[in-house]
Amino acid sequence: MTLRVSTHDVALLRHFTVRALRQRFEGTLTGLGWAVAQPLVMLGVYSLMFVTVLQARLPQGVDLAFVPFLAVGLWPWTAFAESLVQGTTSIQDNASLLSKVALPRAVLVLSRVAAAFAVHGIGFLLILVALAAFGQPLRWEGLILALGIFALLGIAAAGLALALAAMQVFVRDLALVTGQLLTAWFFLTPIFYAREMLPARLQPLLDANPMTAFIEALRWSLFGVGTPTIGWIALLWFPLATLAIGSFVFRRLSRHFEDFL
Amino acid sequence: MSTAVEAAPLLVRLHDVGKDYPQVARASDRLRAMARLLRNAPHRDPITVLDGVSLEIHAGESLGVIGENGAGKSTLLKILSGVLAPTRGSVEVRASIGALLELGAGFNPELSGRDNIEMAGTLMGFSARELAARMDEIVEFADIGRWIDEPVKHYSSGMVVRLGFALVAARRPQLLITDEVLAVGDEAFQRKCIRWIEDYLAGGGTLMLVSHSMFHVQKLCRRALWLDHGRQRGYGEVYDVTQQYLAFQERRIAAQEESATTSLSGQEFEVRELALNGAAQQTAISIEAGSALELRIDVRSRDGRVPALALGIVRADGTAVYGVTSAMDSALPKRLDDDTWRFLVRFDALPLLPGGYLARAHAMDPEELRLFDTMERGFAVRGSTRELGMVRLSHEWLIDA
Repeated sequence: MTLRVSTHDVALLRHFTVRALRQRFEGTLTGLGWAVAQPLVMLGVYSLMFVTVLQARLPQGVDLAFVPFLAVGLWPWTAFAESLVQGTTSIQDNASLLSKVALPRAVLVLSRVAAAFAVHGIGFLLILVALAAFGQPLRWEGLILALGIFALLGIAAAGLALALAAMQVFVRDLALVTGQLLTAWFFLTPIFYAREMLPARLQPLLDANPMTAFIEALRWSLFGVGTPTIGWIALLWFPLATLAIGSFVFRRLSRHFEDFL
Repeated sequence: MSTAVEAAPLLVRLHDVGKDYPQVARASDRLRAMARLLRNAPHRDPITVLDGVSLEIHAGESLGVIGENGAGKSTLLKILSGVLAPTRGSVEVRASIGALLELGAGFNPELSGRDNIEMAGTLMGFSARELAARMDEIVEFADIGRWIDEPVKHYSSGMVVRLGFALVAARRPQLLITDEVLAVGDEAFQRKCIRWIEDYLAGGGTLMLVSHSMFHVQKLCRRALWLDHGRQRGYGEVYDVTQQYLAFQERRIAAQEESATTSLSGQEFEVRELALNGAAQQTAISIEAGSALELRIDVRSRDGRVPALALGIVRADGTAVYGVTSAMDSALPKRLDDDTWRFLVRFDALPLLPGGYLARAHAMDPEELRLFDTMERGFAVRGSTRELGMVRLSHEWLIDA
């Protein structure tokens, strides 16, 4: 079911993604305008907070201002985290629909991941444009690479969301745990800080966290900071492993959703 | 089965399909169930709601599904429509399926009728282009006026159903699943729906109908499936299966009645035996429509007076068909011994139409003032006539020369 994809499945995925996006901005006066304004407002807030108030500074050797450093990590992380939070409850939230309409269930999960990555992907691009406008030099040729990394992150999020959504049907505590774990994971990932700010013996531990590779590779491709490490192999194994595990778990469990919803 | 039917394309094939539900009372059971499913192991202590169901539906060969409540009919429909995965067996569906079951179930209450047509239409497999082309037709069929642009949450239930039906009608599925006959919306819309279904069937459409009405099943379907406690009790030609089912129900009702009206000994007049065509056992008999029915009733009279008898025939649902007493016909019983009398009644060419019936005998005092005792026997009338009602009234068609 998850492997054979028909044009109808694609149409459904598009439909549910549009629906998820619409629900997000439904009832808000500014609608899509808010989607555009929000990343820029956030960028302003971070700039005020970290640069002006906290006077955050990156260590010697990281040749970058703090705001672009943070922004390039924060938006992809937000897309990833939001995909997992929204994805985990996607099957449960659609229980009444599933009990009445036959549809490929994975579509419900994947559409939420797609919606999160669409919103924050556009936000990410807006941020880059804004940063460039404020004089931040960007390696535009690295943009293609950055988008590729962003897409790989999306695949990883899809794989994890499939597994979480399937398990959430059986174990309802999962949604609560997911939120907590994501907060911990956020601080274990060098988004607010650079690898160089950790004690030297702890630094290699960051490579055990696959998200490190994504954040560092994005900074490297766009700003040329940092150096590729062996840990970046996570850019490949993490999406592949999560997608394999996620679709296995989902296929095994999705046949039985109806009995447990 | 004729060869023409064999040649018709196969729409659906179920082979030995079964469905178990897990027993999950506590949260830890759910975790354990998940672990078993991930290992591909079966449920522990499952509740079986469907077992060993095999059937085929060919194009143009409508299937009726009958059975009591809780027999697994809804589960079967859910498996067919793809909402539920079977625990055992194989399901092969080679047709587009439209369900007139919970019309409007997939609607989003926040969206307008038009947006919901788009959404539900996409779920049903319409492409964006088809939907755009059909939109006007659907809106016109639903016929809910300006409401089409209002959010569905403001609709009456009738309007939701109209919209749902209009969508299924526009889809023109190869197999239409429905239960009972649509008892929704106002009468004008119901007529429209029934006309549409007749049209659909005339145009070669195939129906899977779940119904308690043997009349509808016999009228609309060629084959029938009888489910009883999740098992397939009968499957085949519609008349055979419906009659098996009716006879079974008769036996059950008769057994219940029997225990409910156990003769109270010590009554002044008591029905000792009621035999239909010589069969005195409690199981219902079945007779061919138009054949003879002979009733033998033995009545005991405590004080030696000659008893009278009231005789009735009712349909399985309790509707009275015919009643008569021995005194009306000035009939006297034959004395068997000191206190037992025997009545013999014969109906030549019983005009009852196929269905389930009960014969009732009531013992009465000679003055025919009081009923003392009652005994019932069920019987089924078999036949494949398509006449309607309970009784054949003799008639002839007059052709004006």
